[in-house]
Amino acid sequence: MRDLIKMVVVLLVICTTSGVVLSYVNEATKAPREYQYIKFVQEPSIKAVLSDYDNDPVKERIKLAVGEDEEGNPIEIVVFPAKKGGATQAIAYSAAAKGYHDLIEVMVGVGPEGKLTGISIMTHTETPGLGARIVEPEFTDQFAGLDLDTTKLSAEGGKVDTLSGATFSTVGVITAVGAALEQFPQIKKETF
Amino acid sequence: MSVVKEFTKGFWQELPPFRLVLGLCPTLAVTTMAENGLGMGLATTFVLVFSNLLVSILRKLIPGKVRIASYIVVIASFVVMAELLLQAYWYPMYKALGIFVPLIVVNCIILGRAEAFASKNPIILSLADGLGIGLGFTISLTVLGGIREILGSGKLFGAEVMWSSFEPLGFMVKAPGAFVCLGFLLGLMNIISRRRPAH
Repeated sequence: MRDLIKMVVVLLVICTTSGVVLSYVNEATKAPREYQYIKFVQEPSIKAVLSDYDNDPVKERIKLAVGEDEEGNPIEIVVFPAKKGGATQAIAYSAAAKGYHDLIEVMVGVGPEGKLTGISIMTHTETPGLGARIVEPEFTDQFAGLDLDTTKLSAEGGKVDTLSGATFSTVGVITAVGAALEQFPQIKKETF
Repeated sequence: MSVVKEFTKGFWQELPPFRLVLGLCPTLAVTTMAENGLGMGLATTFVLVFSNLLVSILRKLIPGKVRIASYIVVIASFVVMAELLLQAYWYPMYKALGIFVPLIVVNCIILGRAEAFASKNPIILSLADGLGIGLGFTISLTVLGGIREILGSGKLFGAEVMWSSFEPLGFMVKAPGAFVCLGFLLGLMNIISRRRPAH
């Protein structure tokens, strides 16, 4: 009986200590981890969709609450503003939608009139050689200058050409960009 | 003297992937480039040194029946720590190693050292043992990664090292290349150790 109690107590103490230490480390590395994610995953895309600015969009990023999800938690998006001489020229933010396999995360750059300055695919798991071609400039470049009404397949009256053999991936990108543009009027009030 | 002995045995006699042929999963999987081998080795060394230290400190307190469970909790905690630190300060390496960082938990070298050495030896010796074995593992992975990177992509630590007309052997950076390369290194080490007088 004494052995049993000793075993339970020792394991309990070890596990509790481990939990406390790990939660401390988790808290302590939170800010640098967030920063690294922005630097290595988002920053290249931010640079690709914004042009002609003289500030640091990553440093001046702002968090905005846009609506609530089904459970009533606020949905937050991080907006990266591109400024010149202190005036906001364009903003970049990200949106995601389901492609053929999994979520496609897209960074969009939007000008003050709600027109896209460019898009860049951040993460995706589409099929190499087929859906994965959504990252190529030939595909992403056609989004520049589009707005909410023209961000549709050409077959449906929009201006985006489908990648042959990758309809689902194309539609995924369009859905993500469309969702981002739908949020724009709300974001615009807070940024421009 | 024995501290030195425990430290240096990890570099030849008990060199993990080649002499003990342990820890082969990360050895084969992440050594497509010298840098990845180095990163994996250092992460493993971090976990090994601290788990050895803690197991050695706690060796008289932990009841025999729950020792493996206790070691795994200790090891897993340091692995999570290593993962968080990599994510916070060496993000490209974190992405490159992927699933193999959390899998350090099941690396048999670490549990092996805890069970076979740290649970029976004082703190200083256990630290020397962990550091020696860990650095031996790091060097092995870096060498293996280096050979595969040079032959498979003509580079070493990302810098071009081969002549311009060199045609990279694509299969060296794939899984079969890892086995072939490991086999040659094991053979080479056996030849060398046979020529040396036994200790």
